Amino acid sequence: MRAPEPTSGPGGGGGEADLDWLLDRVARGDQAAFETVYDRMAGPVFGLICKVVRDPAQSEEVAQEVLLEVWRSASRFDRSKGNAQTWVMVIAHRRAVDRVRSASAAAHRDQKSAGAVGAASIDEVADEVEASLDRERVRRCLETLTDLQRESVTLAYYGGYTYREVAGLLSVALGTIKTRIRDGLIRMRDCMGVTW
Amino acid sequence: MKLLRRDDLHTLTGAYALDAVDGAERDRFEHHLHRCQPCTHEVRGLHETATRLAVAVARQPPPALRERVLTAAAMTRQMPPVTDVGALPQSRHRRRRRVPRLAVAVVAAGMAVVIALGITVAVTRRQLDDARAQQQAVAAVLNSPDATILTHRTSLGGTVTVVVSHSERKVIFTAAGLPSLPHSKVYQLWLLGPPGTRSAGLLPLPTGGRTVPQLASGLARGDSVGVTVEPAGGSPQPTTKPIVDVLVFS
Repeated sequence: MRAPEPTSGPGGGGGEADLDWLLDRVARGDQAAFETVYDRMAGPVFGLICKVVRDPAQSEEVAQEVLLEVWRSASRFDRSKGNAQTWVMVIAHRRAVDRVRSASAAAHRDQKSAGAVGAASIDEVADEVEASLDRERVRRCLETLTDLQRESVTLAYYGGYTYREVAGLLSVALGTIKTRIRDGLIRMRDCMGVTW
Repeated sequence: MKLLRRDDLHTLTGAYALDAVDGAERDRFEHHLHRCQPCTHEVRGLHETATRLAVAVARQPPPALRERVLTAAAMTRQMPPVTDVGALPQSRHRRRRRVPRLAVAVVAAGMAVVIALGITVAVTRRQLDDARAQQQAVAAVLNSPDATILTHRTSLGGTVTVVVSHSERKVIFTAAGLPSLPHSKVYQLWLLGPPGTRSAGLLPLPTGGRTVPQLASGLARGDSVGVTVEPAGGSPQPTTKPIVDVLVFS
């Protein structure tokens, strides 16, 4: 197993403390602070939603909902429960998943085959790594997982599938998928030096 | 199989962190999460791990989205800070608590601002950490199911506001409009009750007429919160009559 990468601090750098602070400002109605939060978070939010929702027009709608939700509920951000970036991404992922699981969207969803979706997700990650060190680290850490761990994690997170659906797609027992997702994520966490 | 149920629940941390659990199972797990500190901790770490996965696929949205979101934000009213003290069905107290809950929300908003200001002026890492720890402790009291709020006038003028949580055995104390004292004197906070009179620290100098929330722990049955005027540096026991004495745990 690879040694964890050195990190500059919990959460991976000084930028995140700033985001925590900015959200406090946003909670008090500071629109300039919100612009900065937008500039910092719109990329990750939109990228993740595209990954889950696929359809660009719908992804844009969901991204708008999420970013507006950040403005609206900034006062609910509780830094004792995690950092601001994670708070935003949790909202983004939940909204994206809600969208794909809603009945109307489900009808349009491509659920052709499990293998295809999983493989595509991983390849896309690989394609998108290029410049960023973060991306590179994620890619390398994903490589340290077993195939089943990696497929389970990426299908659940990037694919937006429930673990029951993942089990169905991969034809693996429920209990196995449950533990593979957890083990895989824990390995990712340790590999990336997440220090919670 | 039934014996394994708790372990089964625990292994859901990963799937839960990825929003891959739904319906009744998610409800059950969230219920479990409230009582399982290690699970909460693990989910937090896994959420942060998932965030790295998200950042890895970041993609710039169409530029028009920025304008739409900022315009919509300018027209959208923001939610007040949450101080929903839980959905515990304690019907006996429900009526009585409705007003205090609202009041707690208002005080919480005020305190959040005070604490946030405290954080922005903090310079060292140490001070930041202290401020965060303080904020977490304050949040724990404000969010406890039995948080109640009491406000009293002092004999010197001004008011003190106390948020009490019996379950946390803590009080948060703030004062507003207290007259300023000569340099040789300070306000000192006390817990007064059957276990004796215990100092809960000196009141910080007010900023904008309001003191930074002060947290006092180790609350006991029969305790009051009191404030006295003491010589600079404080006293081991009160040397003057309290200017206010609020019974917080009858």
